[in-house]
Amino acid sequence: MIQKKICMLGSFSVGKTSLVRRFVATIFDEHYHTTIGVKIDKKIVKTDGGEVTLVLWDIHGEDVYQKMRMTYLRGMSGYLLVADGTRRQTLDDALALNERVVQEFGKLPSLLLLNKFDLTDQWEIDSSQMSKLAAAGWNAINTSAKTGDGVEGAYLRLAQAAQGK
Amino acid sequence: MSAAAHIFESFFANQGFALFEYLGDGEFQLIGTWPAWCQALWGDLAADAGKIRIGDASPFLENFIFDAEQFWDSKSAAGSAHSGNWTEREASGREIPLEASAYFLDGRRLLVVRNLSETFDQQQEIFQTARDSLLVYEKLLREIQKKEILLHCIVHDLTQPLSAMNSVFHLLDREHLSPQLKKYVKTGERESQRQELMIRGILEAFSSDLAAQNSKQEKAGEAPDLADCAQRAVRDFSTPFRDHDIGLRFGTHLKKSDNWRVTGDAARIDRIFGNLLENAMRYSPKGTTVTVGVEDQGGFVMSYVDDQGPGLPKDQQDSQLFALFSKGKSNAGKAGLGLYFCKITVERWGGAIGAETRAPGGSRFWFRLPRAEKSDAAAATVAESKKPAAIETHPEKHKPTKRLRILVADDADINRELVVELLERRGHIAIGAADGRAAVAELEKHDFDVLLIDEEMPHMTGLEATQAIRQREAGTSRHQIIIGFSGHVTEEDEARFRAAGMDALLPKPVHMQQLYEVVESAAAGVKKSPAPAGPAAKPVSTAASASAGSSQPPPVVAAAAILGNAIEHLNRSTGGNQRLMRSLVEILFADAPKALARIGRAIAQNDAAEVAAGAHLLKGSLAIFGASASVESARSLEAMGRAANLREAPLEFRTLETEFARLRAELAPLAKNAKPVKPASDKPAKKNKPAKKRR
Repeated sequence: MIQKKICMLGSFSVGKTSLVRRFVATIFDEHYHTTIGVKIDKKIVKTDGGEVTLVLWDIHGEDVYQKMRMTYLRGMSGYLLVADGTRRQTLDDALALNERVVQEFGKLPSLLLLNKFDLTDQWEIDSSQMSKLAAAGWNAINTSAKTGDGVEGAYLRLAQAAQGK
Repeated sequence: MSAAAHIFESFFANQGFALFEYLGDGEFQLIGTWPAWCQALWGDLAADAGKIRIGDASPFLENFIFDAEQFWDSKSAAGSAHSGNWTEREASGREIPLEASAYFLDGRRLLVVRNLSETFDQQQEIFQTARDSLLVYEKLLREIQKKEILLHCIVHDLTQPLSAMNSVFHLLDREHLSPQLKKYVKTGERESQRQELMIRGILEAFSSDLAAQNSKQEKAGEAPDLADCAQRAVRDFSTPFRDHDIGLRFGTHLKKSDNWRVTGDAARIDRIFGNLLENAMRYSPKGTTVTVGVEDQGGFVMSYVDDQGPGLPKDQQDSQLFALFSKGKSNAGKAGLGLYFCKITVERWGGAIGAETRAPGGSRFWFRLPRAEKSDAAAATVAESKKPAAIETHPEKHKPTKRLRILVADDADINRELVVELLERRGHIAIGAADGRAAVAELEKHDFDVLLIDEEMPHMTGLEATQAIRQREAGTSRHQIIIGFSGHVTEEDEARFRAAGMDALLPKPVHMQQLYEVVESAAAGVKKSPAPAGPAAKPVSTAASASAGSSQPPPVVAAAAILGNAIEHLNRSTGGNQRLMRSLVEILFADAPKALARIGRAIAQNDAAEVAAGAHLLKGSLAIFGASASVESARSLEAMGRAANLREAPLEFRTLETEFARLRAELAPLAKNAKPVKPASDKPAKKNKPAKKRR
């Protein structure tokens, strides 16, 4: 079966691991468990191009304690850029990270996820910022690993794009 | 096999690690046994004891083999290449933390895969604690920032009606009231001022570090001696410095005849020294010495704190260092408020503050303050020096041949007031309208010789109104003379204005002489737009006064030399009309706090469009007073709003507030203290006419 390597990228505590857990195992844990290094998971999905195994690389968020190795991204077919909608800074960090990735690997299928959309009362990204992102070519998707909103759809869209469908 | 290789293999086998020799093309040979955890993760991969394609079982290892091959190809006998941690999941769901390393030994390419389960929990706990702390810290900063803005909005909201009340009492006091009514007015004024003080007192109590800047009540006590303050700080801090094994000394030899008195307040100067010394103590290595001193710099006294620490980071700008919530990279400081407090306090007194890396090593933090006047009451002296001189110009002495009817459309009350007043003093009839829609409606009812219209207004912009008027005129012989005024005056802007159907263009802030010249020339059918020169345009007066010959009276120039910048600017704009100057200042004092509160609220609510609108309005009002720093700050906020990026807006908002507080202090003599120097000899004072059109 075809395998596609998909990387999860973004700052620490934006919910990358939770998104993977929600997608792979339909599980959500309220507690934050920081990721050290890389977590590998797999899930078979059906797309218009047939069945494909997504090999999900959940890569630790970059901060003062851990720098991300760009070699982890080698051979990826696409990536999900994740920001925490309740922490505006993580969106800037995600976009900056994306620039580094594009510089290194060129343009690859990717989606920008604004996660924790269940916390609307703390949401820091307004519609004008969404419009600005759209103008920059980002079709940002609001997701919630907690409720599952937008999660499966995002992975499927990326899987389709990674297959060139 | 060498003895070293044998020991190596035995060691890894005993530790329960998986050891492989690389054969090339992604194939490995297992050395020793296949650990149980490998079995749980990857199954019977090594069952036939033949060649293993470990990369097929583990995507992470498949990726690492590329890096390992590079290492092996380098034939480096020493060292190793490590994969970093990764985690894979057993069929049971249990996560296994792993790490792989590549070695080169006796010509053999070896790969070791380790199960880190035993040590991983500890490592996880350390990272977890660190990141949890970072999250708490981030949250705290956001909360502080939000509360800061909220606090200032509340104070603005509370003081806003009081400012208006004070102005009303002040105006009432100038009327011919009975002694009994005068008494009531005085009581009202005193009580509203007392309440304002109480509110600011509450603010101080809730925000001890930052609120100080908002208190406009400077103590008019004895001007502090900066050398005394520095010596006192050295005495007060000698014990904590000694406890940290750091020396602290006062390094200036003082003569009795020296005068170190400066503008400012001793208690706050003590806090500035306190912040700078705490900072120096944090960054000074043990056994070094911190030196405090003062220097004579002509009209200023400079004080410095020199340390022998690592110096400033190369990429650290002064502006970052003294910004709100800015902290050193080592995070040794507290919340990043101390240096910000120093900056706003020093600048408020007309001083400056900075930091630099010293040539012999270490850093110097310095600040300088203006020397106090000979009088002890420095603040009072400064204020006194800014009182306007007795100057009145007489524009109506050069009255135009034709009296024009002019409609002035501007959403900023203060701009509209200024233009209407100037035109009326010239002898024209001027009426105000608050936006483009109101202007179009007014034109439908009445005839005007000239429409002066602002570019950016709510409901209908100046350009839209012009287009509407021109459409209405289509097919008729009518042509309304329309002059646009705007802060943007480039060639492109002029082309844009003309394309919309405007006849002439007037840059903001409006200057009296140019206003008269452009309006009267346009009405006479003479094209007379000023040369475009950008927002900081060539002062209109240059072109205008050249053509107007002696129309700029000499006393204005004389006054400019002794007045503060804002007053000087206002003096020029209004032709030295003190009543108009006071009126404009009072409007500014009443309106600007509202505009600031509006911007503050919009920032708190992340409403970018509202920030842009509020900042635009305030920018126009401030421009009348020169106030380049305030205008620039409002311009930045407007740009942030238009770009829908408010990330830096809270900090810029603080700057704007600080700049406005400074402008307010500068203009205060005009608003309250200054009695009319003489009655307007040229024309009886009239009520603020545009009030009827004010929103």
